Amino acid sequence: MKKNTNRTGRFKKSVAAVLSMALMLSMTVLLPGCKAKGFGKDADGKVKVLASIYPMYDFVKRIGGDYVAVSMMVPAGTEPHAWEPSTQDMMKLEEADLFVYNGAGMETWAEDVLKGVQNKKLTVLEASSGLGLLVISEDDEHEGEGHHHVEFDPHVWLSPNFAAQEMKNIAEALKKIDPAHASDYDKNYQLAKDECDKLDSEYRTALKNSDGQYIVVAHEAYGYLCMEYELRQMGIEGVSADQEPDAARMREIIDLVKQYNVKCIFFEELVNPKVAQAIADETGCSTQALSPLDGMTQADIDAGRDYFSVMRDNLAAIQKALN
Amino acid sequence: MLDFLQYTYMQRALMVGVLLAVLVACLGTVMVHKRLSLIGDALSHSSLAGVALGLLGGFNPIVGAMATCIVAAFAIEAIRKKLGNHSELAVAIVLSTGIGLAGVLSGFVKSSADFNSFLFGSIVAISAFEARLVLILAVVVLLAFLLLYKELFFISFDEQAAAIAGVPVGIVNAIFTILTAVTISIASRTVGALIISSLMVVPVAAAMGIARSYKTTVLWAALVAVCSTVAGLILSFYIGLKPGGTIVLISVGFFLVFRGIGYLRGRRGSGKAGAFAADGDKGAKSGSEGGV
Repeated sequence: MKKNTNRTGRFKKSVAAVLSMALMLSMTVLLPGCKAKGFGKDADGKVKVLASIYPMYDFVKRIGGDYVAVSMMVPAGTEPHAWEPSTQDMMKLEEADLFVYNGAGMETWAEDVLKGVQNKKLTVLEASSGLGLLVISEDDEHEGEGHHHVEFDPHVWLSPNFAAQEMKNIAEALKKIDPAHASDYDKNYQLAKDECDKLDSEYRTALKNSDGQYIVVAHEAYGYLCMEYELRQMGIEGVSADQEPDAARMREIIDLVKQYNVKCIFFEELVNPKVAQAIADETGCSTQALSPLDGMTQADIDAGRDYFSVMRDNLAAIQKALN
Repeated sequence: MLDFLQYTYMQRALMVGVLLAVLVACLGTVMVHKRLSLIGDALSHSSLAGVALGLLGGFNPIVGAMATCIVAAFAIEAIRKKLGNHSELAVAIVLSTGIGLAGVLSGFVKSSADFNSFLFGSIVAISAFEARLVLILAVVVLLAFLLLYKELFFISFDEQAAAIAGVPVGIVNAIFTILTAVTISIASRTVGALIISSLMVVPVAAAMGIARSYKTTVLWAALVAVCSTVAGLILSFYIGLKPGGTIVLISVGFFLVFRGIGYLRGRRGSGKAGAFAADGDKGAKSGSEGGV
């Protein structure tokens, strides 16, 4: 009797096992089907560019216009500090003409990935090259443990001026690869540059009276923005995201919020809002999203948001928080 | 001196931490005696799979986490009964399944932000809602633990003898399994999986070094868990250590000290100290130790 139930039990279990294995197999087969393969047919005759993260993607699209096919490597809505490329990304790299990454320590995976690429025609552009980078202080380096060799703050695109310089680097690279459309790239760059200048003057006007004021942010991504417009940032989690704060850090932030009468705690969509919420509960502040742009979600992109619209949203949020 | 009490997040951390420490010590004592000390790890990993399922299936991820935790806990019970002498394998199998499932399913979750916000728990960032949830949980679990105390005590040591003695083993086990699963799924989101899976085991192991009975084991375990939590939080507040790791290490410190005390007492030949842990089964069967 016991043996019998045991056997049916075992039979049921093996059926369950087979079913679940079949389910998993079908998932693995279906999964790659969901993603587009390579650059696709539309890319024929265009410069094929692989951009590491959203700001690079936006800039390349802006400068390249209709002459380039851009693909973004870190999928929309992914926290880029903790991402690694898949085999499909490697396949795209083999096919691409240009790989644009921000550099300055943002894409910790870039060097390793590029070592493995066979593609002879691939041009590699570190968009932040030639920019005056901010060195991350000792303290912040400590916060960023597990993030090896972080020496600079990589979030250069959050300064409109640096963004324009990154666009210039991209324009130069495209002109070399596709000299036939050099004048178009120049023209697009000029348009984008004008827009950056306009954005810069909007920031300057809006933050004219805010010198030295604190913004409390999810992670310290706004170093260049603060440098440019003379603000100070206090990050809940240091320069790299996704770290649990300790009780002393919480107290430090709360005391600072009270001391400087900060009215708003900024959180990031890709970083857990629990800590920001806890600080807001404590101090009676409001919370507000502030996007460092590196983790734009597909929904954002579909809604037509881009570098300039997000930067303007950020400005509005900062202005509201400071006044 | 007590300036940490001025901060709401510290008040919440202390309240929730102490409640969970007591809860988890009670649950942990039963689990350790059932040779299921790694159940906390297994269930908290299974709850990751539940979060992913919830996000993919469009239902509340917390409900998903609780559901998979309960399923996983019953799976451990079921496998454990089948395997007899190798019952500790049950936890390993469910743990592997949980990690595997979470790994595969999280690949389908588009936004890592959603995922993170449901996984991440930090004792210094507890929301008002979570604090209330833990309060309710604590009342329910502690009541159940006290009401079923005798039954659980029997079952912990010898299920068959308990059944013969008329304990409704099946029902008690089921209730206890559900309580454990719900506690772990809520607690791992509130204070983090590390704290919860460690406090389930280490304080109990420490208590077994000096306690002479089941009852005193529970009490000592609760005391060790509470002291570790409070000390860890205060250290984190004053010298900036990460709270989770600090709490766990302090409890390990208690373990070493208590075991040392137990050892010294044993050498002095005062007899019973530490014997309870080693001969737990015998002690329970003869019913000579207190607690019933």
